Amino acid sequence: MKKNKTARGYFLNTAVIVLLFTAFQILTAAKGSQGAFKLVLVPSIWQCCYLMVLAASLNLVLGFMGQLSLGHCGFMAIGAYTAALLSLACERAEWFDGKNDPRFLAVLIISVLAAGLLAALFSLLVGIPALRLKGDYLAIITLGFGMIIINIINNLPFCGQDGLALGSAGASLYKNGLGFGSKAKVQFLWFALAVTILSLTLLFMFVRSKYGRAIKAIRDDEIAASASGINTSKYKVLTFAYSAFFAGIAGALYACTNATLSTSSFAFTNGGILNSTFVVVMVVLGGMGSLTGSAVAAVIMFLVNYEIKNGQWVSLLPASLSGIFEYPMLVYALVLIIVILFRPKGIFGTYEFSLQNLIPDIRNAIKRHRAAKAEKEEAKANA
Amino acid sequence: MKTSRFFSILLVLCMVFCIAAAGGSAFAADDQIIIGLISPNTGALAAYGTGIVTGADLAVEEINAAGGILGRQVQLIKTDDQSDPTECLNAFNSLVAKGVGLIIGSATSGCTSAITDAANEEEVCILSPTATADSITTEDDFIFRACYADSFQGAIAAAYAKQAGFDKVGVVYCAADVYSKGLFDSFSKACAEYGIELAAEQSSASLDVQDYTNQFTAMVNAGVEFVYAPYYYDVIGPYVVPQARAAGYSGIIMGADGYDTTPDYVVAGADLTAFNDVYWTNHYDPSDTSEKVSSFVQAYEAKYGSIPSAFGATGYDCVYMYKQAIEAAGSEDSVAVRDALADRSAVYECVTGTFSLDESGTPLKGAAIISFQSDGSTVTSKLVDVVTQLP
Repeated sequence: MKKNKTARGYFLNTAVIVLLFTAFQILTAAKGSQGAFKLVLVPSIWQCCYLMVLAASLNLVLGFMGQLSLGHCGFMAIGAYTAALLSLACERAEWFDGKNDPRFLAVLIISVLAAGLLAALFSLLVGIPALRLKGDYLAIITLGFGMIIINIINNLPFCGQDGLALGSAGASLYKNGLGFGSKAKVQFLWFALAVTILSLTLLFMFVRSKYGRAIKAIRDDEIAASASGINTSKYKVLTFAYSAFFAGIAGALYACTNATLSTSSFAFTNGGILNSTFVVVMVVLGGMGSLTGSAVAAVIMFLVNYEIKNGQWVSLLPASLSGIFEYPMLVYALVLIIVILFRPKGIFGTYEFSLQNLIPDIRNAIKRHRAAKAEKEEAKANA
Repeated sequence: MKTSRFFSILLVLCMVFCIAAAGGSAFAADDQIIIGLISPNTGALAAYGTGIVTGADLAVEEINAAGGILGRQVQLIKTDDQSDPTECLNAFNSLVAKGVGLIIGSATSGCTSAITDAANEEEVCILSPTATADSITTEDDFIFRACYADSFQGAIAAAYAKQAGFDKVGVVYCAADVYSKGLFDSFSKACAEYGIELAAEQSSASLDVQDYTNQFTAMVNAGVEFVYAPYYYDVIGPYVVPQARAAGYSGIIMGADGYDTTPDYVVAGADLTAFNDVYWTNHYDPSDTSEKVSSFVQAYEAKYGSIPSAFGATGYDCVYMYKQAIEAAGSEDSVAVRDALADRSAVYECVTGTFSLDESGTPLKGAAIISFQSDGSTVTSKLVDVVTQLP
């Protein structure tokens, strides 16, 4: 019976995804060349895609394993530069001719996978010594790691300006092989969505597997977990690497979205929404222990960030209010404070959104709500 | 509690719906010429953004008061890129989606390079006030600028060293930054040309390092009396210059346009005589007595109460360059304006000099060499020389 239900769940999700995907493709074909769709909606979806993968991958370490890592953007930077330089090398070697070449797709997939693998490799190097530490100490070491990565990339001669030793070492890589322009972004939107869905599915499967149960046990009580025969350090390092793999893939998507790379975008002091602390904020906002929550929070944070800078309604606000919006960091903080005040578990808590369980979940929630109300009234009556 | 949650949800919904609305509607009146402006108004380089915005605002105000361009009023749409390439691309896309075809921006080379490809694809003109990296503008594209390129700026510093009689110089720079490294490259290349020996060369890990003592101790040990240190104002004022003097270095420190606005960032109460013998190259000199510059400086001071930085001047110039190009093209269509800007015979009479653009879209103009002077309590700038051509 249980097995049947899981299979039905997979079937339902696949069906809905395929349906949405087809509908979206039709929409893209119909409106692809229009200004607002091409220039606003599609780039926004691309950015949401990498933020979702990034937040969900950090949730694995932070929410499910309970280890605070502040260097997640370091892995993303590794992924971004790997994918960018690899594709640039292929372009320079003329392995593919333009973005319509079928061989470009192969290069794209290889670059994305290589980005993930290299990030995972680096996470092993950091994770094996660092994960013996706990709490604050792990946070400090991963924070340091993020900064070290940025400085290393900054000083690699083949990462600057034109890339691959043609330019000098510099904070910006001006062009990469898989950087998409506006038209190419529409054309390859399916790729971003497919990578995101696949990544989230793989993260889900990990959480639901015996590995997922093991790391949840480690989060709840490490001593008890190790007493029950769980090899805690092995599971911790494995999860850390698995999480970094997807951070690397998020980096590759970032490299596709932005034709240029700049290490300052991944730096800890970056004032935008792409820094390691901010990814932690996304995870906390969405709910530690809910992958769907992270995905939703990533989209919300993106919208907040985008709207306060580009939204037209900002100029309609009274001067005193729009004055706050000149300092975007303040607004992010306000959003976080509102959520923490009224919903300390985060938006989703540990609840996972599921199509199959949606109706029963709603029914249960109403039932629970009624029961709580009745109890309160009873308590009042008793008093 | 209930109502608060309701409001939170409402707020989120508002934002969700606004993204759809943001792209859809064109909101400016039909008879206005719209120019987009992308600059780092917040974040680490906010002083640059402020300069460009105030300068461009002033120019638009003047043009509108004088009857506009082709008899039509000009409207400026300002966006913020936080000196981050992703935000810059977002700002660019939102401007283009609103139908803007002429854009001024962005301040730094890193951000501007993020939008050059997109601008060529969308056929939108980009006129950068201060992106100096050589590779920003290329032939036959939609990208132009109102400032000289790094390869010229570094060479001017070398020429000045030669002229002042130094045959042995040192460099403190950041190998990891495109601005600093680009200037170092052009400076060292010019030094080799002029027969100047590069006796000491020190690099810092990043542009925002706060300790330069070791680097300048090495300069003292190498016995150089002229050090080229291409950094931005945020470290020059509080760290580089005072620490160099504290390390026993008493010679000349020379920099580039990143030194602009340094006097606003010095540490109050410190011994500011350290800033004597600091020279830098800039796009223009505010104390210039020519009619063009003095009227600009006066108008700017009257409006904002401060001396305009080079960013204010180039931002101001960008608007006037667009004005001239639109008038030459007869319309504000971006392709027509591009052709007008690409016309190499057009001469622009601007605050930062009278110049025409070369085949890549970079102005052929001189640089002002400026020195800091201090009596111990304040730092002021003084024009030393204006170099229009390399020796």
